[in-house]
Amino acid sequence: MAEVTLKNLTKRWGDFVAVDGQSLEISDKEFLVLLGPSGCGKTTTMRMIAGLEEPTEGEIWIGDRMVNDDLPKDRDVAMVFQNYGLYPHMTTFDNIAYPLRVRGTPGSEIEPRVRKAAEQVELTQFLDRRPKALSGGQRQRVALARAIVRTPKVFLMDEPLSNLDAKLRVTMRAELKHLSRELKVTTVYVTHDQIEAMTLADRVAVMKDGVIQQLGSPDEIYNDPANLFVAGFIGSPAMNLINGSIQGGHFVTTGGTNLVPVRAEDRKEVVLGVRADDIRVSEIGQGNIDVPIYAFENTGEATLLTVQWGSQRVIAKGDRYLRKEQDDMIGISLNPEHLYLFDPGSGSRIRA
Amino acid sequence: MRDSTLKYLLVLPAIVVVFATAIWPLFESLRLSFTVGRLSRPGSLEQYLGFENYLWAFLYEPAFWNSVWVTTIYTILTVGLTTVLALGLALLLAPGGRFRSGVQTLLILPFAMSPALIGVSFRFMFNPEFGLFDAVFGVLIPPLADVSWLVDPVLAFAVCVMADVWGWIPFLTLVLIGGLASVPQDTIEAAQVDGASGWRVFRDVTLPQLAPVLAVVIILKSIFSLKTFDQIFMLTNGGPGTATQTLSHYIYFNGMKYGQIGYAASVAWLMVIPMIFLTYAYAKFVFRRE
Repeated sequence: MAEVTLKNLTKRWGDFVAVDGQSLEISDKEFLVLLGPSGCGKTTTMRMIAGLEEPTEGEIWIGDRMVNDDLPKDRDVAMVFQNYGLYPHMTTFDNIAYPLRVRGTPGSEIEPRVRKAAEQVELTQFLDRRPKALSGGQRQRVALARAIVRTPKVFLMDEPLSNLDAKLRVTMRAELKHLSRELKVTTVYVTHDQIEAMTLADRVAVMKDGVIQQLGSPDEIYNDPANLFVAGFIGSPAMNLINGSIQGGHFVTTGGTNLVPVRAEDRKEVVLGVRADDIRVSEIGQGNIDVPIYAFENTGEATLLTVQWGSQRVIAKGDRYLRKEQDDMIGISLNPEHLYLFDPGSGSRIRA
Repeated sequence: MRDSTLKYLLVLPAIVVVFATAIWPLFESLRLSFTVGRLSRPGSLEQYLGFENYLWAFLYEPAFWNSVWVTTIYTILTVGLTTVLALGLALLLAPGGRFRSGVQTLLILPFAMSPALIGVSFRFMFNPEFGLFDAVFGVLIPPLADVSWLVDPVLAFAVCVMADVWGWIPFLTLVLIGGLASVPQDTIEAAQVDGASGWRVFRDVTLPQLAPVLAVVIILKSIFSLKTFDQIFMLTNGGPGTATQTLSHYIYFNGMKYGQIGYAASVAWLMVIPMIFLTYAYAKFVFRRE
């Protein structure tokens, strides 16, 4: 039960800056996701909170205590590792019991608490097995149970689902969400998977090159990206980013002549961002412009149309019953409510 | 010629060499251990005594029991000290870094020296007149200035142990660094976050996962300690008296110096017994299937 505060946290290895002067306030009971591509400093940030990595500069506060000089064992955090970090020579029971034993919990309390934690992650029938005899998903549950068996101030989860197969990941994601809402403990969760970030988080911090690019609710980072990086990183398929200029209130693509009305002043260079689902697909002549289909993909739940728009390619999402062929002409229209303009130089958002 | 015949033909020379240099001498020594076997007495190599040589060693040879005792203490001390010190060094060096590669290179040097050479150099270093250790001890700890290390039975034994530990630490350290590298970092960090102190992380997580490697190290070193010969031969030649006479040295003395080949062979075969146990244990640890 605690807030976590990072003040100007920096981690450098020689010339390499992993985390660059990061400040962040995580409220009590909040589920915060650190999201970013590999090498963006998200895991380093979490490891510094855990005490497994020493910050070069800055302060880490857990609750009302600065923990910079505390050993991991004294920080009262629990961590779930990407590779689970289970003790291979101990049974599931002993794995889960270890944090209790090592903290001197009375023997009579250990068994009921281990059983309760095992129940919460549906592991009761595997308590006497070693990790080697467990499947990936079960190992993941042991790691979770080991974290929840005591009530730490903060949960730290380092890509806990990334070693599971796609199907199991979806199941575990839901279980994790259920569990986190039940336990109500401050949680920092690291992932490079935007779906995990979107579905689990109260707030998401999108990181790149050791700097938080945007901090906000999943809605905010999806619907109101702060810059080009966030816009391109969040969403699948990725947001279309189209180069062009603004002339007389219209967006003109580079090398194209097609016009879309936008609410912004004239500029020589601009990037227009639009999500695939904000592009409406229609018959020829009925959209803003007519374009040829470069590729038509049917995913079952929807259709994805990559179209050639001037010299650039754009992905639009079509109805699941739409059927087209390559090189067919279609009309597309952009939803003017959901267009984002960015400065190509700085990457920052241009707001009307 | 068929492939199957050819492959045996190709292996044949190797088999012949191994047979001539290892298998035949092994069985010949077993045969000799049942004979009077005195090199000075013609015909005695075919004069069979049954188990008399073995009984003789057990019943009438205090020198045999002395060397058993010396070998046992020597093995326990060298295995224990080498393993503990090598483990400590490995733990210090395991985190890696710039420091390590340099130290690792330095470390391998003692292991590159032949045991006989280690014996000779330690003998020189402990020489009372011009020995390095003697001089250093004399300056640092004046009361030790006049100690004649290799003349005192206990000190001579200690010097032998020290030379052996010195020579073996590097290799065992390298093996244990390799072993430590195979302990997943995740499990160590998990234990740290779970609340374990440095010592408990080591005891509960590192050590159990290192156990198979540690077992191999201990067994290997025990085998090498049990059969120590060259270093002792060069350093003290078993003396003063028989204070540092290991079994191998005792066997060598009886066989080569006194010409009692039959008796020496029987003691050598007695030494095989602990070796078999150790080799079996070693094979079990190294070749066990997961």
